Amino acid sequence: MRLPQPVNNTVPGPAMPFSPTTTLNMATLGKKLFILSVRMGRGLWHRGIVSSSNPVQSAVEPLEKLQESSSDAITEQMAKSLKYPDFFKVAELFTVEDLFNARVHLGHREGSLNDHMSQFIFGSRLSHLIFDLDQTATLLREALNFTAHIAFRGGIILFVGRIPQHQVMIENTAKECGEYAHTRYWQGGVLTNSTIQFGSVIRLPDLIIFLHTMNNVIYEHTAIRDAAKMLIPTVGIVDTNCNPNLITYPVPGNDDSAASISLFCNLFKAAILRGKEKRKELLGVH
Amino acid sequence: MASIRCWNSTTPEPSSKPLTSVPASDTIKHEGSGNQLIKVSKAMKAYQEKAQALDALMFEKTTEYEIGRRHLANMMGEDPETFTDEDIDTAIEYLFPSGLFEPRARPLMKHPTEVFARKKVAEFDETGRPFHVLFYTGLPNYYQVLHDLSEKVRELDSFSDRMMQYNIHKDPERTLNVGGTEWVKKEQLEDILLEKLKDKQYEFFVRSMNRLLDHPFSYRVEEFIMKFRKHVQISVIHKEIPKLMFTAEGTPYMAAVGRRKTSTASVTVYGRGSGKISINGEDLLYFKYIQDREQVLFPLQFSGLLGKVDVVADVDGGGFSGQSGAIRYAISMAVRSFVDEQMMEKMRLAGLLTRDPRRHERKKPGWKGARAKYTWKKR
Repeated sequence: MRLPQPVNNTVPGPAMPFSPTTTLNMATLGKKLFILSVRMGRGLWHRGIVSSSNPVQSAVEPLEKLQESSSDAITEQMAKSLKYPDFFKVAELFTVEDLFNARVHLGHREGSLNDHMSQFIFGSRLSHLIFDLDQTATLLREALNFTAHIAFRGGIILFVGRIPQHQVMIENTAKECGEYAHTRYWQGGVLTNSTIQFGSVIRLPDLIIFLHTMNNVIYEHTAIRDAAKMLIPTVGIVDTNCNPNLITYPVPGNDDSAASISLFCNLFKAAILRGKEKRKELLGVH
Repeated sequence: MASIRCWNSTTPEPSSKPLTSVPASDTIKHEGSGNQLIKVSKAMKAYQEKAQALDALMFEKTTEYEIGRRHLANMMGEDPETFTDEDIDTAIEYLFPSGLFEPRARPLMKHPTEVFARKKVAEFDETGRPFHVLFYTGLPNYYQVLHDLSEKVRELDSFSDRMMQYNIHKDPERTLNVGGTEWVKKEQLEDILLEKLKDKQYEFFVRSMNRLLDHPFSYRVEEFIMKFRKHVQISVIHKEIPKLMFTAEGTPYMAAVGRRKTSTASVTVYGRGSGKISINGEDLLYFKYIQDREQVLFPLQFSGLLGKVDVVADVDGGGFSGQSGAIRYAISMAVRSFVDEQMMEKMRLAGLLTRDPRRHERKKPGWKGARAKYTWKKR
């Protein structure tokens, strides 16, 4: 996908209507806006699509190499990275066509739809729900951008997912990007009672990425609520039967196919590795 | 971070923390993470100091142990270079004889690693980042083993798919032999992993490993499987099985005595025979009942020597059931010398080599029989 042309003062139209008769029309990329501001998630998700704070800057300046490695200079550089809408160029990592080919647009049946997800649905076909991949793409770009920024700042990222078929894949993804995974039984005090759970004061994750937000078919993963309690931002792949409310950066999409989970794992891994690369550049080789 | 205050809160006002006017998430995070980092580095420092202290202690104790070993060797007049741990045990037993009953209360000199329990080393670095990918699960080593297990199963599945293309199936000769071994017990697994496990977690581990073991190509991951299997001693092997004796003509024979209830049978089994059976000079028809005849023939039929050996038995005491049982036991014990280890193990599992210890139990006064009581009346 090409980077969109810089567009100023254009407000996107309302979300696609929930109409089964609308033809699938997701290839019209030129009309889509790129979301600009960095999120200020405090555990509550709010949509800032109608935001015209900063104009898009298509030219990305490279980071200055550090002359003196003082912490002030580092902080300055890190603050500077926030001025760019897509500092790590995560938009290059995928296209809407990639999402389609990985079957990200396939949701569950109409009967299991969570009301909060209806805004992300494009329509349904033979009572099977279809996600609006344009919205997914936008939100996914935000999520990847945020992830890359967290990795840039040396944050601890925890991959969570509770479906056994994808456990090994998620753990391998975490290993390959040097982060952490928890795809096993979630003990209650991991986030909220960590000192006693682990026996000593530990550093909690700075970001939790949910590849599956549900524990089983009925229950949500405990970590969503606990992360919100501990003010840890979360990124989550939310399917049609999931509740996106407590997730900072929800990404509506299919979480049941191996292909789609594999795509998401690779995207998050790539974003994290980009963030870490930039961090290495900034701090020099340690 | 703003503190939530209630109308009846008794906590004092928080100390002057500069609240930024625009609480952008990154600045608070910085501050928060900064505080967190300071806290974590204190904890990490304490952690590291403990780890270093433990290392120093182990080093000190190990050097003391080695010096002690050399002294003991000199005292016993042995070569200090080749003085093993077993030699140390015998030396201590000799130099410090103890009349105490409990072995663990007697004087002991063991290597520090056996005395001090092994503990996990530092689990995170000075920035607070854990070393292990699965640290936040709480049981990183346990879940790492399960992860490796899943990967191995996948490997073997893809290998078997490739082999199916060439129409190669399970090779019976290369099957993994785990005879004489069993899965490590829960306590042993906890020692290996240095993590406390629940019973359910141990059971899941065993089920998963069995799945891996049952795979037709499990021999390819023998090393991984054998890490969690320990050898079991089969007691029968240690028993001395008497060697075959030979008559003047050169026929091999073995004699054995067997008892059951109050009967005693002394039996001689002659090799290179034709299946003749003689009990007290009579035929197998010495026993009137078929069950007793079956009891006599069973060890021969089981070991496959039915028409190949001759049996001469003298039996005395008891009744027909006890006598047939005594002859059966005696034949089984004699047949051990004719038969290989595997068959002997099978005989043991079939119960042929177990002396039946049951005896007649006396009747008790006030009871109808040995155990039966008279009808109980409530009133």
